[in-house]
Amino acid sequence: MEPSVDITELYAAHRLALVRLAVLLVDDFASAEDVVQDAFAALARRPEAVRDPSKALAYLRISVVNTARSALRRRRTARAYSPPHDVAAPSPEDSAVLAEEHREVIEALHRLAPRQREVLVLRYWSDLSEAEIAKTLDVSRGTVKSTASRALVALEKGMRPTGPRSEGTEQR
Amino acid sequence: MSTTPDTVDLEQRLRAALTARADLVRPEDLAPLAPAAPLRPRWSPWVLLATAAAVLLVLGVVLQGLGRDPRSDDVAPRPDEPPVVLPDDVGRHWEADDVSTPARLDLDGDGTDEVVDFLGEPTEDFDGRTRLETTLSSTGEDLYGIAELGTTIGTTALPPVDADGDGDQELVLRYDDPAAGPGGGGHPLVFDLRDGLLVEAVAEEPELLLSGDIPVPGTKTEHYEMVRQQDFWVEDGELWSSRSVNAYARGNMTIVRPLVTVRDAWTWRLTEDGRLEHVDAGCLRHDVMDDARTPCEDGAADDLPDVADVAEESIGLGESATFDDGYAFTARLEAVADPSLVVEGADGRTIDHALDVADPRVLTTQPVGVFADGASVVIASSSDPGYVQVLRQDGGRLRALDPVGEVDLTDDGSHRTWLTPDGTLVTAVAAEDGTWRLWFWQTVSRSEMAALPGAVVCFDDPTDPSTMRRC
Repeated sequence: MEPSVDITELYAAHRLALVRLAVLLVDDFASAEDVVQDAFAALARRPEAVRDPSKALAYLRISVVNTARSALRRRRTARAYSPPHDVAAPSPEDSAVLAEEHREVIEALHRLAPRQREVLVLRYWSDLSEAEIAKTLDVSRGTVKSTASRALVALEKGMRPTGPRSEGTEQR
Repeated sequence: MSTTPDTVDLEQRLRAALTARADLVRPEDLAPLAPAAPLRPRWSPWVLLATAAAVLLVLGVVLQGLGRDPRSDDVAPRPDEPPVVLPDDVGRHWEADDVSTPARLDLDGDGTDEVVDFLGEPTEDFDGRTRLETTLSSTGEDLYGIAELGTTIGTTALPPVDADGDGDQELVLRYDDPAAGPGGGGHPLVFDLRDGLLVEAVAEEPELLLSGDIPVPGTKTEHYEMVRQQDFWVEDGELWSSRSVNAYARGNMTIVRPLVTVRDAWTWRLTEDGRLEHVDAGCLRHDVMDDARTPCEDGAADDLPDVADVAEESIGLGESATFDDGYAFTARLEAVADPSLVVEGADGRTIDHALDVADPRVLTTQPVGVFADGASVVIASSSDPGYVQVLRQDGGRLRALDPVGEVDLTDDGSHRTWLTPDGTLVTAVAAEDGTWRLWFWQTVSRSEMAALPGAVVCFDDPTDPSTMRRC
């Protein structure tokens, strides 16, 4: 069967963006590359899964999100039932040049539940609409809205873990 | 998603942080041919295959049909198809009940069986989830899965399958539908070792992987609905399912079907991405008496219903008969003034029932297919060939059952009605094309009976049921 999409072209066009998406989800560059590689490999084995080339990126995005979630789950399993939100901090090479103000946000982001993190990344980095996020995560638009709302609250709390933040200052 | 100034500020911070973090990944950081990371620490040749797949991918080569071990990328969703869901790690404190039997199967393909324990979630109605727990013999790794089986009592696995042909086995459990009516209902659950977990496979077209009497939408009437009979089973390490080609009427705790039916059959294959897809296995002939399935021969069809014989013996006025099959009683026809039927039951009760037909005759076979919980008789008339009446015992009297539903209880040119030696009351109704639809009478209330549709047949001589044949 002739492939319905040009995977090589997709690879060239979207690999970087998808690795960036993945790194926001798993916060580990090597894992992010693996996640994206797996997504493309899956598509290569079943190119007929995407008959409409215009939907290929959406397909890959779904694949990346779910594979990233699996990777995090495996990471937790490997740690013998460590607390679900006990996600490792970014590796030094990942965060060495990340400004302190951003690192605080990213670290708080990775203390969120996976679904909350996915919604925030897709909304505020991928700039997807609620409908697109809902389709990507296979949930309702209402769930997207409520998850995002709770995630923002949790994110803000996560950025000030030791108590109320003083106006204009940050916890260090 | 937000309106307050604080939230707007937070959103701006989040956007900036995400952008900054993402931009740390530069194009030159990407590995030119980064292989997929090994996700499962076994069968390293497959990892090599995955690496090769990644290399070929960049070269624009499409890989299809490579048999290999499942990897996590296989669980990536495909548009419009149900995703595989990894189980939550819940229920480590749940306990196994005394009537569940641990499963033994070779999950990791090392030649040694693992033992899978079934731990039931404690709920008031014993309808919680079941945690599957085992330790891999090859690595000592503990792993788990979560199953929804409809009940936590008495969990027993079906024989294992190797649905993906990779040499290890998958666990098969059965979901019992607690809401299923007569005929039961359920479907199999297949659990595969994947990502260090026991992951439930997702069936494509799950409606083909059911058991029980499955209603045909839009066929429900007051007295019956049409159903197809389905089942699933494991045979020689393969998961099979089948569905009757024809639909049958089910109502009043009865299904009108022949003893041998023809079914479409499928085997089920586990794909690399964790889906169960069906493979056409042709046609099977299912004999309910022997519970045997054999391949169909050319032109195979359901057996005709066993109703070609006619119970013709009857008594007239002044005669009596003893009914020994089913409820025991004697009956005699008397004619002091008007004719009456006198029934004397084994319990000593005597019922005297006036008949409103001339020249009555009582068939000496009890219509137990219509009513079997007391005395019942079929009344005919020597002078009125179209007259048919069923009387059933209702306490200390006999009651004439009123025919209701789609078919008239009569015997004329377009309706042929007869009683078979096993007590089945049948009416064949003529169609314009020369075929006849068989209808089978059932009691539907204390005072009514209705006919359920059966097969379409032809007669060489419509007045003689023994000439019945396939059309």
